[in-house]
Amino acid sequence: MNLVLNVQKSFPGFRLAADVSLTGDKIGIFGASGSGKSTLVSMLAGFQKPDAGEIILDGETLFSGSGKINVPPEKRRIAMVFQQHSLFPHLTVRNNLLYGYHRCRAEYRAIHLDMLVAVLQLEELLERDIRTLSGGQQQRIALGRAILGNPRLLLMDEPLSALDDTLRFQIIPYLKSVSDQFGIPYLFISHSLVEMRLMTDTVLAFAHGEMVGKSSSEQLARTRMGESAVGYINLLELDGMTERNGMCAYTWQGVELLLSGSNQNTVGGLFELSSKDIILFKRHPEAISARNLLECTVASLFGSSSKIGVELRCGTGRLVAEIVPEAARELGIKQGAIVYAAFKASAFRRLAITAG
Amino acid sequence: MFLEQSDLQAIWLTLRLASMVTGILLLLGTPIAWWLARSRSWFKGPIGAVVALPLVLPPSVLGFYMLLAMGPNGPVGWLTKAVGLGNLPFTFWGLVLGSVFYSFPFMVQPLQNAFEAVGDRPLEVAATLGASRLDAFFSIVLPLSRRGFFTASILTFAHTVGEFGVVLMIGGNIPGATRVASVQIYDHVEALEYASAHRMAAVMLVFSFLVLLALYAWRSDTQKRG
Repeated sequence: MNLVLNVQKSFPGFRLAADVSLTGDKIGIFGASGSGKSTLVSMLAGFQKPDAGEIILDGETLFSGSGKINVPPEKRRIAMVFQQHSLFPHLTVRNNLLYGYHRCRAEYRAIHLDMLVAVLQLEELLERDIRTLSGGQQQRIALGRAILGNPRLLLMDEPLSALDDTLRFQIIPYLKSVSDQFGIPYLFISHSLVEMRLMTDTVLAFAHGEMVGKSSSEQLARTRMGESAVGYINLLELDGMTERNGMCAYTWQGVELLLSGSNQNTVGGLFELSSKDIILFKRHPEAISARNLLECTVASLFGSSSKIGVELRCGTGRLVAEIVPEAARELGIKQGAIVYAAFKASAFRRLAITAG
Repeated sequence: MFLEQSDLQAIWLTLRLASMVTGILLLLGTPIAWWLARSRSWFKGPIGAVVALPLVLPPSVLGFYMLLAMGPNGPVGWLTKAVGLGNLPFTFWGLVLGSVFYSFPFMVQPLQNAFEAVGDRPLEVAATLGASRLDAFFSIVLPLSRRGFFTASILTFAHTVGEFGVVLMIGGNIPGATRVASVQIYDHVEALEYASAHRMAAVMLVFSFLVLLALYAWRSDTQKRG
């Protein structure tokens, strides 16, 4: 996807300006509430008209202030998944799914209901009344409905924020399958850095109506580490659990990790570990209460004058720990140094179950 | 027989009038209610006020102005004569026209409320799925507003059945042409035929009650079903 987004829009007390050219299939728009990201998406979908500028998608001008072009939303072939699923309550699941398909020109009908139903695992739901479904099921159907018309771009406007944590991370693989299985590029809008890292490659960061950065989602997470109360979130895909002394032992990237028993009931999943929960030692500690102690190599250092992120190579995996500059000086931490990283078994939080 | 021949004639005329007015207002009221629900125009306020005027105006005031407008020297009268329809006052079609204006808010306001309740989001979703505005209106808005359409139609029909002042001003009291049920009851009372008036009034009372009962039963049922 190639998207040229050069738009300006003013409201009383707020001005949005964006001027960027994007190439890629998994692009994120990141920003706090009121940063203008939803307005931007609304203009891209055609719901709001920019005051000036132009929007060009894959060579087609969708909006041009100077050229007096404003393609209506129904002709843009840009589908959208909203924060609230917005399914049509008078239609069954099947008819909700087919709504866009029936309105799509025959030459664009590349995705068929059977394929979609299989990928999103909707077989059991097709004849159900949508009011009887859970939030996660409804969001999967909203996603399916959006892509069945084979759009050239899918906008996802905070599609996970109305769901609880468990559902959020269950839905993410389905959202990603849009691009992976059907080849539909998407623009993912969120204020969650974790969602950005799981869903996108390139991220545009917005604040107060202006684009303040364009980077990889990983780079954005590192840049924001110092400002975040939870630090940098390490995401670990763990599987192959065995039980050890009442705890769960996982092999991760060639090292063994112990997680507290509350994470049982599953053999694997996606876990988070905050950079703030990792303590670094210069030498191997004699005795320590934390159940995880890994010998690591410092791969890189990043951060600001008040917080330093230490990227650690542990086995074949990477973890980020967060320390203050004074600690970095005392430990003599520099690239290539050997350190010991300790963290409690209870420091992990499971985000999603991937096997069970 | 429970009702006299003239009573039956008046009831038949009333039902014809109410059906026609409801049908015409469904066609006229729907786009106006849609515009009022969606528009951000400055004209929305004044037009909404004009639509609601019959709710607050005495029927005699409305009837008087409509009589003047439809008369030979009025703008409507001039127009109807120009297109060969003649004068409308004291005719069935004059009654229809008057009743359309008088019942306008009873159709438009429930529809406007129903359209506003649908909101922007379903229309935005439909647009991103390739539906034109007209398509989205028929495939999404109409089904989601069906309760509003039912309420508006019942209220318009029932209100037209119950009209008196405007009907008397515009239509007078011509058997078979403009003498509707309410005027027939008035006639019976004027002629001191209280038994006949009672019977007609009872029919109107039962009819109105049944209509409202059906409306509430339906609304309660659809609310339960969500």
